[in-house]
Amino acid sequence: MVTVQRLERLPLGPLALALPAIIGIALLFVAPFITFVVYSVLTAGVLPFQADAPITLDAYGHFLNSGVNHNLARNSAWTGLFAAVTTVAISLPVAFWLRYAAGSHRNLVLLLITATIFASYLVRIYAWRSMLGQNGVLNSALISVGVIDAPLQFLLFNRFAVTIALIHIFLPYVVLLLYAALGPVSINLLEAAQDLGAGVTRRWTHVLLPLVAAPAATAFIFVFILSASDYVTPQFLGGTKGIMLGVRIQESFLKTGDWPAGAAGALTMLVAFLLLYLIVSFALRLLGLRSVRFVS
Amino acid sequence: MDHRINPLSRRDLLLRGGVALVAIGASPTLLAACGGSGSSGSGSAAAISTASGDGTVGGSIDFLSWEGYDTPDAIKPWTEQNGVKINASYIATHDDIQAKILAANGSTGYDLTTYYQGYKPLYAKLGILDALDPEKIPNIQNLFPYFQGDVGNFWVDADGTRTGVPWTFGGIGITWDDVALPGGLNSWYDLLDPKFKGKIGAVDDPTGNIALVSRILKMEPDKINRDTDLPKVKDFMSKLLAQTKGVSASYGDMTNLVVSGEVVACWMGWAAMNSFAADAGNNNVKTAIPKEGGYGFCDAFAIPTTVDNPDTAYSWINNILDPKINAKVADFLVGATPVEKSVPLLGATTAALYPYENIDAFLEEIPFYNNPPIESDEFMTAKEWLEIWTDLKANAGS
Repeated sequence: MVTVQRLERLPLGPLALALPAIIGIALLFVAPFITFVVYSVLTAGVLPFQADAPITLDAYGHFLNSGVNHNLARNSAWTGLFAAVTTVAISLPVAFWLRYAAGSHRNLVLLLITATIFASYLVRIYAWRSMLGQNGVLNSALISVGVIDAPLQFLLFNRFAVTIALIHIFLPYVVLLLYAALGPVSINLLEAAQDLGAGVTRRWTHVLLPLVAAPAATAFIFVFILSASDYVTPQFLGGTKGIMLGVRIQESFLKTGDWPAGAAGALTMLVAFLLLYLIVSFALRLLGLRSVRFVS
Repeated sequence: MDHRINPLSRRDLLLRGGVALVAIGASPTLLAACGGSGSSGSGSAAAISTASGDGTVGGSIDFLSWEGYDTPDAIKPWTEQNGVKINASYIATHDDIQAKILAANGSTGYDLTTYYQGYKPLYAKLGILDALDPEKIPNIQNLFPYFQGDVGNFWVDADGTRTGVPWTFGGIGITWDDVALPGGLNSWYDLLDPKFKGKIGAVDDPTGNIALVSRILKMEPDKINRDTDLPKVKDFMSKLLAQTKGVSASYGDMTNLVVSGEVVACWMGWAAMNSFAADAGNNNVKTAIPKEGGYGFCDAFAIPTTVDNPDTAYSWINNILDPKINAKVADFLVGATPVEKSVPLLGATTAALYPYENIDAFLEEIPFYNNPPIESDEFMTAKEWLEIWTDLKANAGS
């Protein structure tokens, strides 16, 4: 039987252990990435790209100089930012309650939170259309209790509807992520702070938040990237006011047949997201929050 | 362009979950169904060679088209009778057809494909379709006279060379909720009435939308002059979008918006939406061609130059033009039949969608168009229009 110890003793032992992961990353990330890089420097024509055309950065220039793309990028950034901040802000107290106060209800509540994950992404989007629509649940309820006389028109087909749906979609993942992050944080720390005279606000700002800053930042980036790059939710809930950059990229591939434009757009967004990651990492380092160690 | 809903998904989903799920089944195909390429092309005959075999029908057939266009239920008796195995390659966009055939680089592979009539100039230029021998498709005589001939050279070139055989078509007009809007709308310009602001929907179909606006403004999609015509196109489309509440990814999704009361009418409307709504229990969704007219779409079977089983491909096309088979196909696709003798065999719902009793007048109301060209110094190209459409959508919300 081949054991881990035996593998490690082989000349390429550690590499052999990492081989499945290396193959997986190469196939699922590196190969598509290289393909996109190649596409992005080609030129579209009758076919999605012309194999014999000279290498050019025109697709990047066109993407970056398009005024419409600037509008869509702003829309994407605001949607991603609002969805990420709100999701983390809602998830943190829920995760705190689950970790320290849920008691015997913890498993049931965790089950309820994660249950929505089992519903299809599209079903959840349609559920929000049913909720926010002109004859939807929300408008019907408000009319029936006499709060409004006519359906509210601003609930659907705009950035608001897109953001609400994205928050709902990503909330369970972030609650689980932060709940797991709070696992090693002992309640003794909070009790000690209380014994030393710290009020609720001070216990949160000086004890808890520094300890979960890194995972919370991770959750923020996770939600921001997936929200800002989404192209399905905006199409179903965004109307003409909620279109985002992902829709433009999708159209380049599936409607325009301009793969270089789509690839250049996708890689530009990838670079923007990497920049965001670096900025958040730098901010955490600057605030000394990356070096905070969990104490049990 | 393709206007079909995946009927299998549609019907299965309707049984399970009602109309809201229609769009979920419909979207994956229709999100991608309107590839916008086209070309002014040379307009020359596409004939490369006349495919011929030893007359044997059988073996396998490599089918390249939209999922659902292999019409599994309708074609099954023919495949069983002839022992034909179908190797289907489904496309995500119409551009996949020319990409995959050209990628074969002259070798054999695909035996049978379909094309939307707007792509004919491009395919003529690329020379990817074989010339067809009409004698091997005797059921062509079953077609309505309009489809046997070819006014626009979509299926038969000016020199008489046939490259396509129409087998399904449809017309685009306005669809409305007859309860909210009794009698519907008689003119496209009615959609611009201030009372409809925020109450109409649109389908995210750029290729179809340029055909529509061309029809309304009395232009040709492949001859829209950048300097004189394009500003008018942009202006009209901006006004329509300013009235629009939501832009749906598919006709199935648009049906949901009409049924749920989110919008009272939509552009573009498709008679099949009546059927989708009726399947969900709503018989108040209606479609009509406004007085300015609508536009039509027609898909044709063709044999690509990569064919290696031509006799079986011919037999398939001939079989699809059998009246009983094409009636089944029309019911399956919720489309119109170009086969005259199929009309009495259609299901009641499908038969009610189009005015077969006066088909020639109807076809005049829904002309077929070419796509905008791929390259042109004078006219707006397909790529330009797609960018303009995206810009107009984005600006409508700003």
